[in-house]
Amino acid sequence: MAKEIGADRLGDFYKDGGKVRKRREWRGLRDTMYDYSRWLVIMGTLAKFVMKPRNVKAMFRYRWMANYLAVPMMVDRHTQGLRGEYLRMCHTEQDLIIDDVAKLLDNLFRGDRRIGNDREFSKKVVLVDENEMTAVMMGFPTLKGLSRETPSTYVSVLLNQHAAEHYIDLAQQFGLAGDVCPMPEAELGVSIDDDAPVLGACAIQCNTTCDGSLLGNGVISRRLEQEDGIPVFQLAAPLRHREDDVQEYAAQEIRNAIAFIEKHTGEKWDWKHYFECARRVNVATECRQEWLEMNRTPYPQVFGSNLALYTETNYMAICGKIPEFEKADRKLTELARQAFAKKKMAAKEYRHRAIIWGVQSHYYMDFLVWLLNCWGIVPLTDMLSMVSTRRIAEEDTPENREQAIYDMAWLTENMIMRNRTHGGYRVLLDELWEFTQQFNADMVILWEHMSCKALDGMHGLFEDRARELGINLVWVSHDLFDPRIISRQGVRDQINNYMRSVMREEPLDPSLEVLHDEESW
Amino acid sequence: MAVVLKVLLILALVVVGLFILTFTVYIFNLDMKLTALIEPWLLKHYDKIERDTHL
Repeated sequence: MAKEIGADRLGDFYKDGGKVRKRREWRGLRDTMYDYSRWLVIMGTLAKFVMKPRNVKAMFRYRWMANYLAVPMMVDRHTQGLRGEYLRMCHTEQDLIIDDVAKLLDNLFRGDRRIGNDREFSKKVVLVDENEMTAVMMGFPTLKGLSRETPSTYVSVLLNQHAAEHYIDLAQQFGLAGDVCPMPEAELGVSIDDDAPVLGACAIQCNTTCDGSLLGNGVISRRLEQEDGIPVFQLAAPLRHREDDVQEYAAQEIRNAIAFIEKHTGEKWDWKHYFECARRVNVATECRQEWLEMNRTPYPQVFGSNLALYTETNYMAICGKIPEFEKADRKLTELARQAFAKKKMAAKEYRHRAIIWGVQSHYYMDFLVWLLNCWGIVPLTDMLSMVSTRRIAEEDTPENREQAIYDMAWLTENMIMRNRTHGGYRVLLDELWEFTQQFNADMVILWEHMSCKALDGMHGLFEDRARELGINLVWVSHDLFDPRIISRQGVRDQINNYMRSVMREEPLDPSLEVLHDEESW
Repeated sequence: MAVVLKVLLILALVVVGLFILTFTVYIFNLDMKLTALIEPWLLKHYDKIERDTHL
């Protein structure tokens, strides 16, 4: 029980084989009271959510809703060991994301034909993919762009490592290949299991990145169109997104998507609202760039899961549409500046500066916190946070209205993950080594998502270049949504083995090296 | 005056009582320990729901 960073043995909070931890951390009076007050706020958000009878009804209808019992624990996992500004940054983000997801769930159940069945509301809903840039919704202030997959699979696995297993198994029972990415496979499992809310005037699906995504979307759209009567538009953004000759095609896809939404909802594109959202996208980009600039110095501030989780949400799902995220961007930047000015550190010792590359394990998103606390490895940035930094047009002029179509196309092409896993050798390989130099990193942690064919075959190329540059390259295999293939301890062991056998180091906190958290949420 | 003081005292006791109660739940992670007990029961419930399961 300590106020000082790194004084606690954080592994002692785990109970062998337990689902939850023994107790919460004592972080000194000030930080404990702050954390307690934020816990009360989260409890208030959850209480407000369950006060609506339709949400309770949904809790008893949808299997994935059980994962939301673990919301406070998800926050605890990400705040582990944090003090001062880092704790406040984490809560600023996580509490806002929790509130946003609670509103998403509430809206889904309001329009859901099985639950709230608010038909007028449902006519104003456009369903979007979880892994999709929502830029095409920036000019529709009266419509709700809602993702069914975000709460049913994406957030569920962040809450509970075992959340997707039922749906993965179900998809495979119906003959789907077991070697595709378990994320789209789980999303498809939700659809097969008749466990997705049914609502909306229409839906926009995106050719995310991979065979699994195309396979899953195909079957989901068939159910939506043929059984639920919800028309679906396939937004096929070019994969070679750095090439000039694909941009006109990408822009035309955006025009077509907007026209499709207008046709099925009866709403008209609102340029004033679009440019207001565009301004907020630019604010988010500026803030993210400032954080990354700080991370190039010896005193990084917004990094690890504080950077990764927030960027995923803010860049792609929010995309300038929710004003509260602009406030959070500014608050986070202010906290980062304060900590930077005081040369603060989030752990008692920084031993290695790492770039995290590849697609990270969803069932172990707090791995980045573990890296810092256990081995003193600072995850400066990650592949999914290295997204577009281009300013988009934010002033309403005739020229900018045309440019805006290209900006939305650019954002859609450069959505998280696909901007690196597709687009050619340069975006995945060459730029990694440029980032290691820019961030003065001595280590690359390379996630090997074993079902992601986009990264297969690159193994040797990464190793050759790391050897040439003298970078410590650590491969960490995982199966994204399925901890039965490689457990959280299996993930940790790959780092532990490297750090002990290659680096010849001892952990900062030995209690975290081996944790029996197989049954944990 | 005495009545006002009495009301303030009662209010203070309620606030302190609520703080002790909620802080105990918070620090000993009792909220998560309780929800961990609820989950298996919910999962059994989901297994019983009739569903139109198909491709």
